Amino acid sequence: MPTNWPENPKIIGTRVTRLDGMAKATGRAKYPSDSHPEGMLFGAMLYSPHAHARIKSLDFSAAEKLPGVKAVLPAGNIKAGSLVRFQGDDIAAVAAETEEQALDAIRAIKVEYEVLPHVATEEQARAEGAPEVFKGGGIVKNVRKGRSVTIGKPDDAFKGDDVVTIEASYSAPVITHVCLEPHGLTVRWTPEGKIEAWASTQAVGPTANELAGAFEIPITDVTVHTDVMGGGFGSKFGADIWGVTAAKLSKKAGGLPVRMFLDRAHEHMGGGNRPSAIAHVKLGATKEGKLIGMIAETSGTGGAGAGSAFPLPYVYAVPASSRTHSDIFVNGGNARAMRAPGHPQGCLVMEAAMDDLADKLGMDPLAFRLKNLKPTDMVEDGFSKPTVDRTPVYHDEVEIGAELIGWKNKWKPRGHVNGGSPIRHGLGMALHQWGGGGPPTNQVACTIFPDGAVEMKTATQDIGTGARTIFAIIAAEVLGLKVTDITSNIGNSTFPPGQPSGGSTTTPAMSPPALNAVTLARDELFTKLAPALAANPEDLSLADGQVLVKGVAKMAWKDACRKLGMQPISVVGKSSPGLASQHGGVAGCQFAEVTVDIETGVVRLKKIVAVQDTGLIIDKLTWETQVYGGVIGGLNYGLFEERIMDPTSGIMLNPDMELYKLAGASDIPEIVVHAYETPAMKARGVIGVGEPPTVSTAAAIGNAVANAIGVRVPHWPMSPKNVLDALASKEGKA
Amino acid sequence: MKAFEYVSPSSAEVAVKALDGVDAAPLSGGTDLISRMKDLVTSPKRVVYLKDISAIAGVSGDAASGLTIGAETTLAALLSSKVVKESYPALWQAASEVGTPQIKNMATVGGNLCQRPRCWYYRAGFGLLPTKDGKNMVREGDNRYHAIFHTDGDALFVSPSSLAAPLIALGATATILGPKGERTIPVASLYQIPKKADDRELTIAANEIVTKVTVPAAKGKNASYEARQKAAHDWPLVMASVNLDLDGNTVKSASVIVYGVAPVPYRAEAAEKAITGKAVNAESAAAAGDAAVQGAKPLSDNGYKIPLTKSVVKRALLAAVGNRYWEEG
Repeated sequence: MPTNWPENPKIIGTRVTRLDGMAKATGRAKYPSDSHPEGMLFGAMLYSPHAHARIKSLDFSAAEKLPGVKAVLPAGNIKAGSLVRFQGDDIAAVAAETEEQALDAIRAIKVEYEVLPHVATEEQARAEGAPEVFKGGGIVKNVRKGRSVTIGKPDDAFKGDDVVTIEASYSAPVITHVCLEPHGLTVRWTPEGKIEAWASTQAVGPTANELAGAFEIPITDVTVHTDVMGGGFGSKFGADIWGVTAAKLSKKAGGLPVRMFLDRAHEHMGGGNRPSAIAHVKLGATKEGKLIGMIAETSGTGGAGAGSAFPLPYVYAVPASSRTHSDIFVNGGNARAMRAPGHPQGCLVMEAAMDDLADKLGMDPLAFRLKNLKPTDMVEDGFSKPTVDRTPVYHDEVEIGAELIGWKNKWKPRGHVNGGSPIRHGLGMALHQWGGGGPPTNQVACTIFPDGAVEMKTATQDIGTGARTIFAIIAAEVLGLKVTDITSNIGNSTFPPGQPSGGSTTTPAMSPPALNAVTLARDELFTKLAPALAANPEDLSLADGQVLVKGVAKMAWKDACRKLGMQPISVVGKSSPGLASQHGGVAGCQFAEVTVDIETGVVRLKKIVAVQDTGLIIDKLTWETQVYGGVIGGLNYGLFEERIMDPTSGIMLNPDMELYKLAGASDIPEIVVHAYETPAMKARGVIGVGEPPTVSTAAAIGNAVANAIGVRVPHWPMSPKNVLDALASKEGKA
Repeated sequence: MKAFEYVSPSSAEVAVKALDGVDAAPLSGGTDLISRMKDLVTSPKRVVYLKDISAIAGVSGDAASGLTIGAETTLAALLSSKVVKESYPALWQAASEVGTPQIKNMATVGGNLCQRPRCWYYRAGFGLLPTKDGKNMVREGDNRYHAIFHTDGDALFVSPSSLAAPLIALGATATILGPKGERTIPVASLYQIPKKADDRELTIAANEIVTKVTVPAAKGKNASYEARQKAAHDWPLVMASVNLDLDGNTVKSASVIVYGVAPVPYRAEAAEKAITGKAVNAESAAAAGDAAVQGAKPLSDNGYKIPLTKSVVKRALLAAVGNRYWEEG
């Protein structure tokens, strides 16, 4: 049973190109939405055009009579009398022979609505005299006020002559996941009464469970395939109402496959989102720059039912604090987990306040941050590993990041002017943290075949973590083979249990059982080969495609495997302690360099530096690309994204990819990624990297903008409107 | 999208006949119409494809005698014209900032001029003058991308064509073909401010098409300057196109047309007046920029367009005389 990673790995930690990269780049890879099984019908959803309404009647008869229509069903338990609570709330579904017929049939469903008063924005929900759309469960006037969390005596902390205080408001809007491949699946019933689905999911196991549960059939009668998938970010953990409804349509249509994927507008409205964050913050420090207290009133909306929590205070040592958070409910789609849930919001509020206070203190914000890290920040691993102190890690990472962005030479106090140009330069930074460990509950099967082929198999999936390549690296390392010699089969719910891809857990959860499986398989091979080589099993080793006896190459890999005769070696590996962190607990920091045109409010990114620790890195290339992806997601939050709701009609005004703005290639600056991977970090074992690098980008950009123009832009994103409005309010022209 | 009949005529005359008498829509690059059809904002019974009509595509002429630009000329073809780039930079620049390379390969000059407003209330099916319970939804709602001029009326969208501004500044005319024959009008006269719910913002009838645009001989200096949020493809927030007739360094007459501020391409007469008789320099251009917003009445969310319009007009004027000071920082 391996309890540690190879001390001098040949492949682990190097830059290995993804095994499925070429197939994805060329379009050869078939995504779930590409699957068109024989006889497939096209599904379509009818969703509410109203923000809030009661369905008075629902009539499918006209739709059912249209050519090509095979099945029409209500969504979930929708019936006459049901409420719909946001534009995009599901009402009914159709399966038809062509997509056009399905869409025609959706329009032929007759729904009578009693349109009810709505609240579409946080402002509207909280306004005096607003309709009380949401009640009960501690909700009063559409708001569920949270308990105040108090540490120390914050009110007393602000007394005293040497206290420097800022009081400010900050906000960030709701943003949506914008998965390039929308939510959905293609599903069929086999003649034997089993379900087979091709789902765009980040969790094949739970998706199969949901389908089995919905139809009360054994889980062994459900197979969910996800060979590759086009983005989830936390929003795709199950079959969802769309998948279950598609399976019902298929059943009604005699088992024919039904393809049900959301269109872009529906995806924005109903596919999940990151809640907004609205904060009023008072933050104080001594004149010497030591934090003394924080008082924060925060709120946000997670839509018509979900919460909006985010961590605050964040990262830093705040001796006394009080924080009250309220969930505002609006007639909008519900929040779902989105890449480091809560942290990007908490980070931008905390880091904006830190920067504003540093400016008021006349301190370099970098020095101010380091001064206010916790004296020690011990992170419990969860296994037998020693705890890790994150504070020195932050110190090291900030030092590295500062060097890479050129802080020492380039940073100037807020609002500095370089000649008469309207193009102002700014630097900003922010710190973040995340978990990223993985539970020890998964399995990987490793099979060595007599022809020398090696298969790694498990019911996890690749949400972007490079799972296939990770397993191949581990197997190739142990077996002395090339990464391309290994076949990784994933994305099938019937394989040995694998990790759902959430919380940056996939690689830390799956690498230990992978190492365990391939090590056990190797040892069994050694036992079987030893007699033929007239050696003891413990004298055997593997390197460069050869079997070695006491370090001397004796037999090629394939020849050795041929000795197995007809019987492959097949073992299932489980997790073992020490190979990965269970709870994670990573630090990290980012720096942004921007220009701001103060005459037009246009912000352009020049450079982002991301410094990240995540324990032991299996594939450096995949790791770096995940950090790029996180930074790009974060810069979209910083500069572009915003769900815009209309107060009058209650609908989303930009459910597209045009006025819902996202970076294009020319909006992406130079991104410098640095892996903080010291021996102490490697000793923590594997930790996931999906989420931490997206946390602090928007915060760092906001701080860089403030540094450039001399005034805080309190509302994200850093759009020309928000920048020009902030400049105008500085001049008293708000 | 609803099912429709598809016609692909080979002449403009046949196209106009195909458009007449039924609920028909002309199709060029499709970058506007197809989106509207998918969103059920427009559901024509017949779609008449104009892009195979080679007689109304292509750029001809020169700076001395003026240009003729066929309506079905793609933006990519327009941008590849040397004379456009060298002598009509206001037009070239505006076209170069439209969409992506893919969009430029599909979109046409005529389609750009005749596209429908991008107002999100219009695109959500509420019409050009969206009202609910007697209130204007734009005025009550999110109007960050809407007009700051003519805001006393009910039409608060902004005219969507970013080629209209330079073409109007350059004094171009549009030739229109309809069932009753051909007529030529200033490009500015293609647009009107709708007053009633069923008014169009285009003056041409549904059974008429623009066949070509004629641009007078190039004299003086011209330029466009666009401000937009993204560096990659994005709609301009505000863009200004200027055409200056110069006597030495002094402006004899000026055209200043602003995109993104009104339901029609907006002629900033006060800016034209401010710069006339002056040499274009940082001071006079800034004064003209300030003048450009005279009479503006922003809505609840778009006050930022006031400073933005000032800057954009100033920069277009300075760009025309080769001063691109904002690129030095």
